Amino acid sequence: MFPELNNILNSTPDSFKSSDFILVSDRQADASFLIHHYLSFYLRAGCKVCFLGLVQSFSHYSAVGQRLGVSLAQAREKGQLVFLEGLKDSIGAILQEESSQGTQHLSYLRSPGAGLKGLFRFVESSVRQNGDHDDGESWGPPVLLIDDLSVLLSLGVTVGAILDFTLYCQATMCTELQGNMVILVRCEEEDADDDEEGANLLQRGLVHQCNLALHVEGLPTGYCRDIHGQMQVWWRQSGETMYNPRKTFHFKVHDKGASFFARGTSSAVL
Amino acid sequence: MLLDVLQGAEPGGFILIQDTVKCTGRGILKCFINAALKRGEDVHVLGFEASETEVCAGLDRSCVQKLHFHKGFPDPLGWMCRSSFTVDQLTSQHITKLIKDSQHAKAPVLVIDSLSLVLRHHDPVVISQRLQVLRKGGDIKTIISLLHSDLHLHGVVGIVSQLASTVISVAPANNEHHAVATTTRRSKSGKVMQEEEYFNVSEDMTLSVQAKLRQHGHVQKEQKVAEADPASNLTFNLRLSEEERKAKEKLALPFVFSKEKKSALLRPTPGSGRIMYEPDANDDFDEEDPDDDLDV
Repeated sequence: MFPELNNILNSTPDSFKSSDFILVSDRQADASFLIHHYLSFYLRAGCKVCFLGLVQSFSHYSAVGQRLGVSLAQAREKGQLVFLEGLKDSIGAILQEESSQGTQHLSYLRSPGAGLKGLFRFVESSVRQNGDHDDGESWGPPVLLIDDLSVLLSLGVTVGAILDFTLYCQATMCTELQGNMVILVRCEEEDADDDEEGANLLQRGLVHQCNLALHVEGLPTGYCRDIHGQMQVWWRQSGETMYNPRKTFHFKVHDKGASFFARGTSSAVL
Repeated sequence: MLLDVLQGAEPGGFILIQDTVKCTGRGILKCFINAALKRGEDVHVLGFEASETEVCAGLDRSCVQKLHFHKGFPDPLGWMCRSSFTVDQLTSQHITKLIKDSQHAKAPVLVIDSLSLVLRHHDPVVISQRLQVLRKGGDIKTIISLLHSDLHLHGVVGIVSQLASTVISVAPANNEHHAVATTTRRSKSGKVMQEEEYFNVSEDMTLSVQAKLRQHGHVQKEQKVAEADPASNLTFNLRLSEEERKAKEKLALPFVFSKEKKSALLRPTPGSGRIMYEPDANDDFDEEDPDDDLDV
């Protein structure tokens, strides 16, 4: 969890806005540090977290979580965290017989055209179990984290099917259960968007749905030792103003956190 | 023109609101719903993308019972068998039945929020035909629909725009409180009118419109200021007074040949140099003219 980012977004684990769909996107940069931020943020806030880790192993997230001061293994044992390990389960889903019940949620691997209904059922069932544990512990509002959604595109799932999936997730998580949702997507280069079935189309569709978009890019001027990139913060659908300006911050990712500063106020410049 | 469309009572119209990620058109859609409710018309909303509470927020409380929300939102595709209206039910027969069931005195307004989700699941041609049947059917006064134009191919957006009697495209203006709406209206006679206007949606879902013209003049004025003389604040002088200019013109530059200069250089002077040559005995003097063969 990065306190500086919490200041920018005006949220703390004790008080944060519910029913938010936060879209994290990156282009030629790596925004996964924001996913780690939100994972530790919501675990600290005591939320029931459903994490779809499609690109990394559990031990990877666990190791990063350790540095940020949360134990994923403990949270998983307590039932606070439901972790879908995409890398590990995929093999099983492909090798097993089609009829097997255990891997219904990964059915898109076998038939990408059929949509992501199975994955949605997995998400829904894991967040609805909230509170009926034997030890009587009940968790806060549910949270869905996905790292990252654009990998489904390379597995043959269409943009439309992914947008349907996120619309269902949003309806269940944000509207019905008053929880939150954080999704990471990776965009292609700006000029590569002539193919309409691409990651950029997916990103545009998600921006239409989301309440807050965080977009991470490298510096336009190239590599810099002291500034790792810039992040655009874009509040949407606030209702009060027609035009929501995007704010841009520079950031530097450290070993155990990240610092954010206004443009031109890096310690390397001042 | 936007206000005319908002008040507009032309029956059989199809108003299409196009938006992009840069500026949402949902505010203007809600203004249209609100305006229709205030006129005392019944409004049927096919909501696929936003919940009922979100759509109803800010609408006039007194006429909210005139709003009939057909819940497509939590389950637009029927995955959970919980919705009262799925994307597949968007057929002219089904909608006509829905409207006839509610028995209105006047033909109601149909709002589709949004057409993008519908077009994702159905062929645009089929949807266009169904919309056309609904328009001509006479059971519906106006169809108002939202379309996220940056999520579709240009051709698909074109098909739907051709069908619409009025297309409103919203785009951001460089101003916190306004956005730009480009309204293209096709009248029955076939005349096409287009106008750009600034608009703003207030919290009680009323639309305020400012003509673009005045704003345009304002922008131009600003540009003129921006184009002010860059040489005005210099620490040295770039300009010439009339006298200075004359003096400058009088001055002859070096390396420019004037007539006097040329004649001064080419005038033969007395006692100028000539070549003296005395051949000595060892010189091999050639009697022949070396240039004899040349025709000179």
